[in-house]
Amino acid sequence: MSYKVTEENNIATVYLNGEIDMDVTEKAKEVIMPLIEAKKEVHLNLKDVEYMDSSGISVLIESHQQATELGTKVILKEISKSVLKVIMMAKLEQILNLD
Amino acid sequence: MDFKESQNFKIEPASLKEVRVFAREIFKRSSIFEKDTDDLVLALAEAAQNIVKHGYGNQPTSDEMKIVIKFEDNVLSMELMDKGKPVVPSNIKPRDLDDIKAGGLGTFFIGQIMDEVVFKTTKVNWVNHLILTKSFN
Repeated sequence: MSYKVTEENNIATVYLNGEIDMDVTEKAKEVIMPLIEAKKEVHLNLKDVEYMDSSGISVLIESHQQATELGTKVILKEISKSVLKVIMMAKLEQILNLD
Repeated sequence: MDFKESQNFKIEPASLKEVRVFAREIFKRSSIFEKDTDDLVLALAEAAQNIVKHGYGNQPTSDEMKIVIKFEDNVLSMELMDKGKPVVPSNIKPRDLDDIKAGGLGTFFIGQIMDEVVFKTTKVNWVNHLILTKSFN
């Protein structure tokens, strides 16, 4: 997994790339969580995420929950087909913020 | 088109990618798996992840897990064997869909994708023996 972060005003966009599994979830959290803790609105661009398993989904859930708790939000942008399929399998499309 | 392939993998998070590559290479052989390849790879990788995470508590080990992918009489079986903490099948519960948390999602995915999920304890030299099957009839 690789990533790029851009920030504009109070919106931080995290472009994730590659495969998100158990091996990289800590790295993903280390990128995303500080942005949420800084109370930024976080946009996760998932266009180039080719694979996501339950560990990756857990990062999305934890990010969403942490953001809600801190009064901000995480929005999933340009979700790749394979990631969307897993989100829907987990029946989370009504819970996470999908754009 | 029957086949049987097996490979051993180190028990560590970095192996999960190797497990996926191993499975994808096998499923590429026939168009019968084309529609289901992503799901099957996910199910197998989730089961392998459970071994790393729960069987060994994500702790370093010199043990390996063995994966066997077999296709016979239009039934695909993916078997995972390990020597980790013995699994108590009745303790394995998929996520309650109304409870929004990450735990149990992998097991839920496996159940959604496969036709049957069976734990056996009869395999000599191994502690856990999980068999995931899906019919292609």
